[in-house]
Amino acid sequence: MSTTDPTTARTQQHSTRHRRTRNTGDPSGRAGRATFGCVLCGLSVSVLGPDGEPRDHCPSCLSSLHVHDQVEDGVSDCDGRMTPISVVVPRDGTWRLVHRCVRCDELSENSVATDDNPLVLMRIAVRPLAEPPFPLEMLGEV
Amino acid sequence: MGRRNSDRRGSDRNGRRDRRRQQRPKTVLRARGEQGRRSGPAAESFRCAHCRLDVPLRALGTAHRNHCPHCLTSLHVDGRVPGDRAADCRGRMEAAGVSTRPDGEWLIVHRCLSCGELSANRVAGDDNARALVRIAVRPLSAAATARRALMLL
Repeated sequence: MSTTDPTTARTQQHSTRHRRTRNTGDPSGRAGRATFGCVLCGLSVSVLGPDGEPRDHCPSCLSSLHVHDQVEDGVSDCDGRMTPISVVVPRDGTWRLVHRCVRCDELSENSVATDDNPLVLMRIAVRPLAEPPFPLEMLGEV
Repeated sequence: MGRRNSDRRGSDRNGRRDRRRQQRPKTVLRARGEQGRRSGPAAESFRCAHCRLDVPLRALGTAHRNHCPHCLTSLHVDGRVPGDRAADCRGRMEAAGVSTRPDGEWLIVHRCLSCGELSANRVAGDDNARALVRIAVRPLSAAATARRALMLL
């Protein structure tokens, strides 16, 4: 009896963990689901964006979930929350959002959907200019 | 000078004409930072992959310099941990964007041009201010998206 108790506890823990990752948008669990819950604000987000693109971050708070491993290019088992840190612009002029995982500090890059929160997006984009490491008024003399 | 050259050409015409004269070995005085050891643990400088600037590793304001202070280009040599030299991509990494730490320090986000991986590194004290600001205002100069975001505010 004493040997079965930890086993059942472990299977219960495993099942709850599995359910949690499915609820928060694991790509293996995404296939049959139409929505996922945001890890930060709890918003129920549809998997497909307004233009039919698959969505990987919350349109309200722009948080994402660390499910893709960019170094080995596969599925990551970190499941940490990813906060948006920067807006980068490739040569085609579109905005792309860079996320950083709060648990393992890995970076990822996602495209911006048309219904993403413009206030948060603009705040991330102009944040470096609000806190420059050197006086910006000196730039005319450089 | 031109006369001497023509003389030499004439003497070459007598003997071996097509063989190039070998260059004499030259001794070049170098600064301590560029003593030829560009790799290995004793390296004191690296050559920028984009603008070929010789960059000394020791600089003000940073302990882990990985990008050129002139054009902000980096090289994809590190894996997950900065400095582990675990990646065998060796692609050029261009500065894609600027991010801000909570304490207000700037990070440059690099993207590898050959495999697309991202990395972030703190700016150094001698990084080119104009190049930094050019990257930082790039989201606002991408006209269509910025205008749409501003009109929706």
